[in-house]
Amino acid sequence: MKTDITKLLGIEYPIIQGGMAWVAEHKLAAAVSNAGGLGLIGAASAPAEIVREEIRKCKALTDKPFGVNVMLLNPNAEEVAKVIVEEGVKVVTTGAGNPAKYMEMWKKAGVKVIPVVASVAMAVLMERAGADAVVAEGMESGGHIGSTTTMALVPQVVDAVTIPVIAAGGIADGRGLAAAMMLGASAVQMGTRFVAAKESIVHANYKEKLIKAKDIDSTVTGTTTGHPVRCIRNKMTKEYLKLEKEGADFMELEKLTLGSLRKAVIEGDVVNGTLMAGQIAGLIKEELSCEEIIRQIMEQAESLM
Amino acid sequence: MLEKLIGIIEEQLNVEGMEITEKTSFKDDLSADSLDLFELVMALEEEFGVEIPSEELENITTVGSVMEYLQAKGIEA
Repeated sequence: MKTDITKLLGIEYPIIQGGMAWVAEHKLAAAVSNAGGLGLIGAASAPAEIVREEIRKCKALTDKPFGVNVMLLNPNAEEVAKVIVEEGVKVVTTGAGNPAKYMEMWKKAGVKVIPVVASVAMAVLMERAGADAVVAEGMESGGHIGSTTTMALVPQVVDAVTIPVIAAGGIADGRGLAAAMMLGASAVQMGTRFVAAKESIVHANYKEKLIKAKDIDSTVTGTTTGHPVRCIRNKMTKEYLKLEKEGADFMELEKLTLGSLRKAVIEGDVVNGTLMAGQIAGLIKEELSCEEIIRQIMEQAESLM
Repeated sequence: MLEKLIGIIEEQLNVEGMEITEKTSFKDDLSADSLDLFELVMALEEEFGVEIPSEELENITTVGSVMEYLQAKGIEA
């Protein structure tokens, strides 16, 4: 399937893997790229040299294009931004802020820049700043989210910009891809679907939680702090939401979630950890390889379109 | 200019009736998040017929900094 995004990025299928913190490391990124999608390494809050190593390891596993997601709130973001150029990474997506100050450097180096946006105004300003495409991410997504749904956000962003739009949030199968295309998107980005992939390094307990999750099993913590995060309900979210209701301050809430994503991903602590996942987790029934996931999605989407 | 700016800010950030001076911080005093600031920039551009590059957003933290930016661009009203 050829779209503006497959052409722009030189990939076979219009499927991008989200740059999830802790989860999107080189093995997952390489597996998605080798399967014809675009894999991303999530730089999250990692130091720049770790990101460099991840990029090199990913290159050793694939000849296909892959990208890096830069989390702009990372105190090391500037260093990470430079490493991307030095290592010749082809694509960068950005989250948690405004990447304008790195745009010139990346564009000069021929890096395709794709900011994740949660509003039309941000999409418009990013296009003007030189973005090659945008990811319009709805609040169905896992992890840090905006407040507009994919169904509402994608067509409004599509109408407001001339660059290609990638839909994200609530997409995990061929129906989701086909629907996103109908809304005017040129590709989809999926996070949760790939967290449950065979090549994903997340702890077996976490994967099991994802596969068992039902439609209403996610909740949003942090709305009162201005940093809402969608994750699967567990003891941690229950305590967090209770504290929020009682008007707990930021520091008190932070204590509960400090290192909690790592706890879930690496240690498999599904009781106290943060199990970031989108609302579509309920659709995921089995652990498949990235190649199987992408093949199934493409077959289903093509039969529908 | 301050009066005109306050009008735009009040409408964009829904902060009618709050005290707004040159020192008012969008984030700390008016609880604006980054998406609010993108909306505000779009509204300012429309009102003053000026293009505010996204790089400038980092420097636009207070009402006064917006005034300075617009004045530096030669906007008087």
